[in-house]
Amino acid sequence: MRGTLRAGLVGSALALVASTFVMISSGTVVLATSSAAGASTQAPLNLANEQGLLWPCTFNPFNPSDAAYSVGVTYETLDFVDALNNAKVTPWLASSYAWSNSNKTLTFTIRSGVKWTDGTPLTAADVAYTFNLIKKNAALDVNAVWTVLSSVKQSGANKVVFTFKTAAVPFFYYVAGQTPIVPEHIWSKIKNPVTDPVKNPLGSGGYIMSKCTSENIQWTANPHYWQPGLGAVKVVNMPAFLSNNTCNEYLATGKSAWGSQFIPNIKSYYVAKKPGNSYWFAPVANVVLFPNLKVAPLNDVAVRKAISYGINRAQVSKIGEYGYEPPATQTGIVTPTFSSWSSSVASTAAGTSYNPSKAKSILTADGYKMDSSGYFAKGGKELALTIITNGGYSDWVAAMQVVSQELKRVGIKASVDGVAATNFYSDVYAGKFQLAYNAEAGGPAPFYEMRQWLYSKNSAPIGTAASSNWERFSSPAVDALLNQYTATTSSATQHSIINQLQMVMVNQVPVIPLLEEVDWFQYNSKQYTGFPGPGNEYAQPGLYNIPDWGVVLLHLKPVK
Amino acid sequence: MRFLVRRLGFLLVALWAALTVNFFIPRLMPGNPAEAMMATFRGHVNPAAMHALEVAFGVNTHESLPRQYIAYVGNTLTGHLGNSTSYSLLPVSTVIMKALPWSLGLVGITTILGFVLGTTIGAISAWRRGGALDSVLPPVFIVISAFPYFWIGLLAVWLFALTLNWFPLQFGYTETTVPALTWGFVGDVLDHAVLPAMTILITAIGGWILTMRNNMITVVAEDYVKMARAKGLKPRRILWQYAGRNALLPNLTGFAISLGFVISGAILVEYVFNYPGVGFMLLQSVQDQDYPLMQSLFLLITVAVLMAIFLSDIATAILDPRTRSSS
Repeated sequence: MRGTLRAGLVGSALALVASTFVMISSGTVVLATSSAAGASTQAPLNLANEQGLLWPCTFNPFNPSDAAYSVGVTYETLDFVDALNNAKVTPWLASSYAWSNSNKTLTFTIRSGVKWTDGTPLTAADVAYTFNLIKKNAALDVNAVWTVLSSVKQSGANKVVFTFKTAAVPFFYYVAGQTPIVPEHIWSKIKNPVTDPVKNPLGSGGYIMSKCTSENIQWTANPHYWQPGLGAVKVVNMPAFLSNNTCNEYLATGKSAWGSQFIPNIKSYYVAKKPGNSYWFAPVANVVLFPNLKVAPLNDVAVRKAISYGINRAQVSKIGEYGYEPPATQTGIVTPTFSSWSSSVASTAAGTSYNPSKAKSILTADGYKMDSSGYFAKGGKELALTIITNGGYSDWVAAMQVVSQELKRVGIKASVDGVAATNFYSDVYAGKFQLAYNAEAGGPAPFYEMRQWLYSKNSAPIGTAASSNWERFSSPAVDALLNQYTATTSSATQHSIINQLQMVMVNQVPVIPLLEEVDWFQYNSKQYTGFPGPGNEYAQPGLYNIPDWGVVLLHLKPVK
Repeated sequence: MRFLVRRLGFLLVALWAALTVNFFIPRLMPGNPAEAMMATFRGHVNPAAMHALEVAFGVNTHESLPRQYIAYVGNTLTGHLGNSTSYSLLPVSTVIMKALPWSLGLVGITTILGFVLGTTIGAISAWRRGGALDSVLPPVFIVISAFPYFWIGLLAVWLFALTLNWFPLQFGYTETTVPALTWGFVGDVLDHAVLPAMTILITAIGGWILTMRNNMITVVAEDYVKMARAKGLKPRRILWQYAGRNALLPNLTGFAISLGFVISGAILVEYVFNYPGVGFMLLQSVQDQDYPLMQSLFLLITVAVLMAIFLSDIATAILDPRTRSSS
């Protein structure tokens, strides 16, 4: 799982033993309270974010490995798009934006009065420079914005005009919400912006990276930040953790007040340890069983449907994921996050998501017959499949074992193959699997994940790496729907398209969503207030979400 | 002299072979660094980033493998180790230096201490077989070394760090400080090193005790030891100059090899104590298909082990003249 142990057996064994010890010691643990430092100086906020490496201390905002430690805190984006609240746009470095020219032109008005931390004003020229820098260096184009952009030009003193090749409304999220703006007067002097480590990032954000060692990154609040009243936490530390269980110990012993960890038995291991310890796992995407549509028998929609109806997702969630990740639905809409997009027609068409007798009848109608060993077979060939999953994620392997048992009950033989991480991803990308359990990145609306799943141009022939659409789905009608969505800003049209795509999900079962991917988040409400939560979903609090965690940090207030 | 030339020749051939294997094996793995990097983002990065990473890492450059190999050998010989793909394209030497000093300090010192203490205890307990020392220390340490390391490690964490609060829980030093050559910082490092060092020591020492004790028992029964006793030499002199010196020989090669492997770190220690070191870095570089970092670490380990064996060969030759030539 995202955020869980990455070294397979050793890791799981360690976690098991570690959790036992901490449980045994629950009465005697001396909590090292970081808030006990006294009233005069504010104690630093320590973050618990296991990334499995010593910090390289590089902060290149265009390097996807570094972005999480620079975008949001130090570098800012034009707008903030809230993925947990209907893609709500909060103006940030741009004070306003407007679509024109049948949604092919996007004009931003850049906020006045924003300064880089060296005192130089942030201008429209910096914004235009940033995007043209990315154009010149394909390695910086992490969100592939230049696949849809044709030009970015400054217009007048404070406007920047983005011209798109075709209408590309959803790309607003990547252009305005995900691309960090960098200062021209610094970056124009950098020889190679791809390999430059950017040891001292200079941005406009609320926090300045003040010192970095292999073991810790420290930020201090920007005293001249352009949004007064934000950034009450003065000093922030993010220590480097090599393994999940050491990071969990750090959280459980009270050294950290904000974590984004996968913690087995979170109630006894973490919540019970200290007053105020809380967690909130907001669903953001799906974890999905990808059937290889290019190979028999999974090119048969009846088999895919039977699999979808044959799995008790609640059981998979409970046993495989401690119930942290709620069951998903075949319509592909993540609830409650995107509930407003859910189509009642598609939900009705899908019916009860767990329906073993329906699974069996679908197979029977398709010409399958139960053989003597209790499995369905057609033409003398037993329905036997292999599910591959990342062997380094112990919870994913556990979840798939439950799936295997569930499928056995409806007469489908499914074996689980926990593949070493590198082999797993190269197999998934190249389409070398029958069923693969994996997740997409998603986005601030269901469209993004649907497009990652279903857009034929994202895919590739078997044997060639595909960045997404790993099941190799291809439908001109669906492509047309997705293209139509990118051309419209009308909410009604968008909803109608997503409704139709949900019907595709139910009728053609291109992929089988099993569980909902969540944003891992633990916090102590007695030490800090202002964290997001149910009813106050203003940003994704997981420490890997950019620019979200920087936004959350700005809103925190230490409790006196 | 001929002995030395022959050993040097062997050293060079072994180095070349290691260099070559080191280049080809990682490239036989499926996938590439860009795919592996995407995997480490755990789905939190736009899938479109894969293309950007491929460009940044120079994947799909379509250079033939033999050409890459020649370039690699040339670069390695001139000390150009490349940039690490999993560490934000930092030079490999910079990345390794983040971890290597910690491994050398912790594992190096504990390996030497373990060997010295283990051999001494082994020698003495064989010399006074059935004595108090012999009936307590060897069995205790051998039993301890039979436990899995991480079990001992976590027990130590729970007892000394979590419950008694005697030592820090994790990290190589107080994580929010910046390393500096001050007494305060050195003290802090030592404070953080005690627990990991003790656990390595008590789990490693059993092996040295056992082998030394066994060697010693055989040697003590030799005629020249009886002769020495008969001559009326002091027991201490017989113990170290006659018996110990000879019993040590088989252990010396083992010691040399473990010294060489100091450079590969101690992965479980790093895991349990969140201690910086090359062991975890090596594992991570393999998982991330970070060819430059992986190759450099393997190369470093190979060179260290080969050098250690070379030196131990010379040491053996000095201690035991019979090994110098077959005649």
